[in-house]
Amino acid sequence: MNDSTHFTSAVTWVAIVTAILLSAASFAGAQRSAATDDIVHAANAFLSSLSTEQRQQVQYAFRDAKQRARWSNLPIGFVPRGGISLKQMSPPQREAAMKLLATVLSPMGLEKVNEIREADDDVKTNGRGPGGRGGPPPGPPPGGPNGPPARSGDPGRPGGPPAVSRDEMFGSDLYYISFLGTPSITDPWMLQFGGHHLALNITIIGSQGVLTPTLTGAQPATFQLNGRTIRPLGRESDKALALLNSLEAKQRSQAVLDYAVADLVLGPGLDDKKIAPEGLKASVMDAKQQAMLLDLIAEWAGIMNEGSSADRMAQIKADLNETWFAWSGPTSGQAGSNITAYYRIQGPHLVIEYAPQHDAPANHVHTIYRDPTNDYGRALTKP
Amino acid sequence: MALVALALLFGKSACAHRIDEYLQATILSLRADRVQASMRLIPGILVSPSVIAAIDSNGDGVLSQVEQRAYAQRVLGDLSITIDGKSVSPKLISWGFPQLEQMRDGIGEIRIEYSVELPSGGAHRTLVLANHHLSRTSVYLMNVLVPQDRNIRLLAQKRNEQQSLYELDYQQMAAGDARSGTAWGGPRTWLNGVQFLSLFHLGMRHIAEGTDHLLFLLTLLLPAPLLVSGSRWGPAAGARRSLLRILGIVTAFTMGHSRTLSLAAWGLVRVPEQPVEVLIAGSIFVSALHALRPIFPGKEAWIAGFFGLIHGLAFAATLERLGLGHWDRAAGILAFNLGIETMQLLVIAVALPLLMLMSRMRAYPVVRIGGAAFAAAASLGWMVERLFDIETPVDVIVNAFAGHTFWIVIIGLLAALACRFLPASRAGRASEPGMAQLLE
Repeated sequence: MNDSTHFTSAVTWVAIVTAILLSAASFAGAQRSAATDDIVHAANAFLSSLSTEQRQQVQYAFRDAKQRARWSNLPIGFVPRGGISLKQMSPPQREAAMKLLATVLSPMGLEKVNEIREADDDVKTNGRGPGGRGGPPPGPPPGGPNGPPARSGDPGRPGGPPAVSRDEMFGSDLYYISFLGTPSITDPWMLQFGGHHLALNITIIGSQGVLTPTLTGAQPATFQLNGRTIRPLGRESDKALALLNSLEAKQRSQAVLDYAVADLVLGPGLDDKKIAPEGLKASVMDAKQQAMLLDLIAEWAGIMNEGSSADRMAQIKADLNETWFAWSGPTSGQAGSNITAYYRIQGPHLVIEYAPQHDAPANHVHTIYRDPTNDYGRALTKP
Repeated sequence: MALVALALLFGKSACAHRIDEYLQATILSLRADRVQASMRLIPGILVSPSVIAAIDSNGDGVLSQVEQRAYAQRVLGDLSITIDGKSVSPKLISWGFPQLEQMRDGIGEIRIEYSVELPSGGAHRTLVLANHHLSRTSVYLMNVLVPQDRNIRLLAQKRNEQQSLYELDYQQMAAGDARSGTAWGGPRTWLNGVQFLSLFHLGMRHIAEGTDHLLFLLTLLLPAPLLVSGSRWGPAAGARRSLLRILGIVTAFTMGHSRTLSLAAWGLVRVPEQPVEVLIAGSIFVSALHALRPIFPGKEAWIAGFFGLIHGLAFAATLERLGLGHWDRAAGILAFNLGIETMQLLVIAVALPLLMLMSRMRAYPVVRIGGAAFAAAASLGWMVERLFDIETPVDVIVNAFAGHTFWIVIIGLLAALACRFLPASRAGRASEPGMAQLLE
């Protein structure tokens, strides 16, 4: 009896100590699922602000392959998006939509999204020509019905998508939101937000948030707004250039490819493709260069909220020895102005491409962010 | 014409599509006996009239099937492909054309799939592909997918500046030689501590977040410290005996799931996921029934071992989804399993003393029956969900409880301590069996 009493009190102390230790661990875990709780809450708040008809418009089945793939770098006049646009929303609805984005994305991610949208406002109000701003505002292209190249400007042409005015083609309110599946803290669902030069495809599975595939882009890639110079993808350019400049001659000769890359290799529609990597392997970079590479990758991985970004960065860090950095195009450049070169970062679970566009390399860029093993959260959801 | 072009540049460039270039992007997929290629051809807005003219040979403004096929064949005819210096010819598999309007806008994408039979050759092979199609206005992208075939190892890719000329050097081993090609990569993977840690972490999370595994184990442990009296659960057994029984159950469960996890992860056992998931829900129901009335007293360890086999299959499915390579697997299984065991040990470290203490409470039958009823309800919900693929609120409810584990543990501890050290509880102990009978 006495033995048993000693035994039980010893057991009691062990239990108390373990409980305290474990509670600290479970607190950390609870923080993580709190993020998903908040996201689901914000999503439901937005959905309940919609009319029944609007709600039907934004809602798709989780496995709706067509809606999943309905994204592009192109303006909505060329590739119509699903869901409803900010323009179609009332002010409170728009506010709820932006609140949802602010919950899903990091402050950096939200800022990037907003600057890409502002670039589209700049196109709308200032127009654009080669060489940056100041070109004549483009009216409908001349050419007449006989000039085939001008066909796309003809209003009312049957079947042709861009029979729309500039107002209906560009602007920060022409960004669409849609849901695949029902917002849930346990079951997988997707949130899409995108328009011209932007496609966020966010899959939420329990406490995990997956951002792949996602497209960011900008044209103009440098512009003035309220006296401020804005470069929506400026850090993507500056950090890559800094990494290139930090390479020693031998590393550099491996990183810089001897051929031109005209565009994204794995743009919209090219899911799940693992191409043979090229360039310089991060395993032969020094610690500082590796840190610079990770910091560059964070420009995409860090678009998501803190918890999901941290998970993703941990995975990318674990893959670092198998990650490649390749550069194609001019190697000279200056921080603060956009590079005109293409670069690619590729690892076992990562593809990032930065592709300046031929028409205005320094002022028009497309980028893609993928995980060929986990686009649309495929690795985490049952088929 | 120059004026039109200039105006177009101004007007259309903001629309983010190609202008005066014909983009031809090819992705190759290399197999032992053939190479398959998918081409995407996107004529820019200023190039599209000439491309359309080339396709629409009769000029009627419609791209007929015959014209489409003929154009696809023409593209293949403009390729020259050699393997080890010998010329080989591409065979058209399929083609798809966009709407004419899209092509005129410079956003239309032509897709062509073709394959090339490769005659057998030596170990070191060279594939060369030159694309001469409309080379004056074209830009090219050439890439190869990482081969699925383990007997093929890519050595080098070389291209000219425009990527219109592409050379791929690769090594092709006879099927039997495959091991020598990959084996030396094995030990390195073993030492890759970062990946090991992340899999270990994944194993821990799998248990912490996979509430069904824990619920099964905890439900089975609920009556473990008790003696059987007749066909009912009686008072608590001695401390040593309870402890041994709990440890026996946990060990048996671990041995069971480790076994099937290893077998399934090596591909030696293959079971579809759905029945496994249903059986796991069923296992919780069985242990809940046992917690209500002893149906297999003394044989808990056997039951735990048996159902452990099934739970292991589910762990393996998770590992499967990570797509580990052959040699990563041994280290992967070890890391993942260690993660699972560590998390399980942590949970048991809390549950065990709690169970030992609480089983001596007068009100323990309330805990046991309440817990069993909760587990039974959850398991029924899961079974319905997994059998008929419909959504039930089970996950939400169970996760809500799991989220408050800390407070449940604290309340349990306080209650147990109160009973232990308050004099009233000692007096009450004599009537424990009676109380239990009353409640059942």
